[in-house]
Amino acid sequence: MGIERLLAEHLLSVLVFLPTAGAILLLLLPRSATGVARVAALAVATLECVLSLPLWWHFDVALRGFQFRESAAWIPPLGISYLIGIDGISLLLILLTTILTPVSLLFSLSHVEKEVRGFSIAFLILETGVIGTLVALDLALFYVFWEVMLVPMYFIIGIWGGARRIYAAMKFFLFTMAGSLLMFLAILYVAIRHHAATGVWSFALEDLYRLTFTGTTAVVLFAAFALAFAIKVPVFPLHTWLPDAHTEAPTAGSIILAGILLKLGVYGYLRFALPLFPGTALRYAPWLGVLGVIGVIYGALLAFAQHDMKRLVAYSSVSHLGLVVIGVGAFTTISLQGSILQMVNHGLSTGALFLLVGVLYERRHTREISAYGGVAGIVPVTAALFLIATLSSIGLPGLNGFVGEFLVLLGTWTSPHRWWAVAAATGVILSAIYMLTLVQRVFWNPVTHEENRNLPEIRWSELVAVSVLVVLMVWIGVRPNDVLDRLRVSVDALQESVTAKQLVEAQNGAGLPGGAR
Amino acid sequence: MTGTFVQLSHADWLSILPEVALASAGCLILLLEAFAPSLRRWFATLALAGVAASLYLLMAAPAGTTFDGRFETSPLTWLMGLFLGGSAAVAILVAKPYLERIRDEKGEFYALLLWGHLGVSLMIRGLDLLIIFIGLEILSLSFYVLAAYFRGIEASSEAGLKYFLTGAFASAFTLYGIVLLFGASGGTRIAGLAQEGLAGRPAVILGVLLLLVGFGFKMSLAPFHAWAPDVYQGMPTPAVLYLSIAPKGASVLVLFRVLAAVFQPGLPDRLHAAVAALAVLSMTLGNVVALAQRDAKRLLAYSGIAHMGYVTIALAVFGREALAAAIVYFFAYLVSNAGAFAAVSALYRDESKPHPVAMLAGEGRRARFAAAVFALCLFSLAGIPATAGFIGKFFIFKAALERGLYALAIIGVLNSLVSIGYYLKVVYILYMRDPIEPEGPPPLAFADGLALSICAAGIFAFGIFPAALWRLARSAAATLPLPGP
Repeated sequence: MGIERLLAEHLLSVLVFLPTAGAILLLLLPRSATGVARVAALAVATLECVLSLPLWWHFDVALRGFQFRESAAWIPPLGISYLIGIDGISLLLILLTTILTPVSLLFSLSHVEKEVRGFSIAFLILETGVIGTLVALDLALFYVFWEVMLVPMYFIIGIWGGARRIYAAMKFFLFTMAGSLLMFLAILYVAIRHHAATGVWSFALEDLYRLTFTGTTAVVLFAAFALAFAIKVPVFPLHTWLPDAHTEAPTAGSIILAGILLKLGVYGYLRFALPLFPGTALRYAPWLGVLGVIGVIYGALLAFAQHDMKRLVAYSSVSHLGLVVIGVGAFTTISLQGSILQMVNHGLSTGALFLLVGVLYERRHTREISAYGGVAGIVPVTAALFLIATLSSIGLPGLNGFVGEFLVLLGTWTSPHRWWAVAAATGVILSAIYMLTLVQRVFWNPVTHEENRNLPEIRWSELVAVSVLVVLMVWIGVRPNDVLDRLRVSVDALQESVTAKQLVEAQNGAGLPGGAR
Repeated sequence: MTGTFVQLSHADWLSILPEVALASAGCLILLLEAFAPSLRRWFATLALAGVAASLYLLMAAPAGTTFDGRFETSPLTWLMGLFLGGSAAVAILVAKPYLERIRDEKGEFYALLLWGHLGVSLMIRGLDLLIIFIGLEILSLSFYVLAAYFRGIEASSEAGLKYFLTGAFASAFTLYGIVLLFGASGGTRIAGLAQEGLAGRPAVILGVLLLLVGFGFKMSLAPFHAWAPDVYQGMPTPAVLYLSIAPKGASVLVLFRVLAAVFQPGLPDRLHAAVAALAVLSMTLGNVVALAQRDAKRLLAYSGIAHMGYVTIALAVFGREALAAAIVYFFAYLVSNAGAFAAVSALYRDESKPHPVAMLAGEGRRARFAAAVFALCLFSLAGIPATAGFIGKFFIFKAALERGLYALAIIGVLNSLVSIGYYLKVVYILYMRDPIEPEGPPPLAFADGLALSICAAGIFAFGIFPAALWRLARSAAATLPLPGP
């Protein structure tokens, strides 16, 4: 098969497995070839990014359903297949992944010293896991990728992390696994019900969408799915693993964790929990919204209380993801679009913030806010970039954050839960307070520590990494429709299928094939 | 059978050839040890050839029953034979460098291993409770000696004695169960247990329960597990490798055979409850106690106890799919557990001392390959997707949910969560701590590397492409008269 045909017909598969192929290649390198390993990993990630761009151009914005589909039998006796494809929602998150991965590796070029080869391998396998999760349209396949992600992340935090890295890595793994294992049983149960109803084994998402579950069964199954995703997001009160994982993870790990991994919780909710059990999901949506509101405010208050920059950004993620959860809970077209866009925005702004905190940390080896002060005059470029990332994070018009937040607030306001919008708006204001305070205490004010006078300026590799993100922030801020166009049909389709199925469930849950007791 | 002595037909001979090959290979090695000790370095090769020949003869034997319906050759015995042969082959590969390291390579090790293997082979093929019992005893006697292989080391003698005393006790239980079943059915053939009205008789129920105890002991199923940690700790690692895998698989198969014959439509409620309770107890006790272990071999012993709990779920489900799931589980357990013990064998230098996990600190950076495979095996034992262990659990839990055993499945996955605690602890010590031993382990021997590579390949092969194994297991499971699709 020619390479052109491979790319034309199996683009998604190439994107899923190219990083793993790169990882295997790195494994064959001698251990001492650290320089080669760094460059090779970056080259693979960059190639991956370039190859993912055609998805953006060739994505048909008018088409419903999944595009770039591929399917192959995998475990035929059980109807498990290698079934992949994307819609607008997964498209955006895939591109976010393929952009953030090389950015993180570019940053790590000069900052990871220990076991470079292992680090690069873990990173590339992580990318395979993430992209696989985003393209999988078969529940068994999805679960495999979903869990595979944990292993490289465990090593990234545990080997290259900070002082309490072991505790953080273990907590991360156990928390995530606790949710996933119950979801695993729920997936099996759903497939068994499909077999019982139709006589055919299938784990394909679109087949399983046709089942209806009602009553306690639906609640239990929904809870199993929702718990797994809520831990990943993380929704209050399941968030406690996140600040630990973030604080201890190396910068590149934090970027991927906050930028992408958290979003997979929301993605999983939208792709699996909601369409599989729409009635239950919508019935419990108010609770979701309330947890989102608590997350927004609680995260913001905790962020305000931090004196470690990275922990502050980590708690701000809890707050920002709370906003995304509110938008999902409100379930209006606009709030959904806003939530999905906001996931991308948060990936860019938080990625940039973690990166810049990493830049300061690598020079001063402390993340205490009080150890800085007035460094804007010493490292003006870093300061300027940090300010832009902050403004994007707090939603200044003209930058991407504004568009997402505005849509979430507007969409939520038009839903029956107006007061969520009020609470969410409070969160937006709070984020402005703690983020601007951070900028002020780190970059402005007089210089209080003499050792900061010789702080080196940002390096070119770091500058390129941040600049990529800044360009995207401005672009989405100025032309949000480029992104939203790709979302509209997918969000409409999601809403329609959910509403239609909810009606069916309400009318005769028990009468249909697969109807539950 | 005519008259007072047994006349063996051509078919009988053909069917027993695999076992004959094992017995002769063992004898040959023992004779060479006595008369040509200079050939010692070829013993492992010879033992491997014996296992391979036995497997070939097993595949070549015509399907059907022989010895007047007492001995089976079927897809089920082929597949289980492959499982046993795999365990034996990896054990021999690991034994060679192990014995060389301790400078104590003697023919009797291989001979005893082969004979133990012969015993287990009889267990999976026997359709007569006495043949199964003889197999069990051949296995036990061989491994009582292997447990005490290090004559000079106290822990090893202790292991031998402990295994012997508790093992003899368990054999007595088994034999008593067989006697009761014999009394009730008028024969020792398993097929004879399938008579009308036999299932409800107290003697039969008691007999089955006693067999459950006897084979539960060989499986190291809680509460019959107490011997395992001590014996594992003192026994030579390659022998533990075999003992922790093959006899367990054979015992589960025997239990399936007997239960399938006695209880045609399905297990009676109380027996089902008892089996389910054993499963829960074994999973929970194994996993929770493993959390507190500091010694690598004891940790793997408790992990094995927990894994037998998962397999017992299949016994509680009791159906054709469940047996197939158990077979798949055992293949997964074979590659993961054998790999883990092979890594333990390769990573520790001094066999006369205990094997604390803490000693492995930082080996991930020194003994790269062995440590990486060890970590892979642990992830597989924990059931992380894309490894064989996940596939094993997948089919077991699927069978449980299909039968409506939701509580068992939920307790099972929660136990998996607990198990991650101790498996990850080992990974953490391997990769995230600085070395405490001044020197790394000795360079990886070729045979160790081969064994580890086979296990790693198996973990990925079963984990990523399980369809073929599942098909084989399903057609094998159809051999038994079990209920279900």
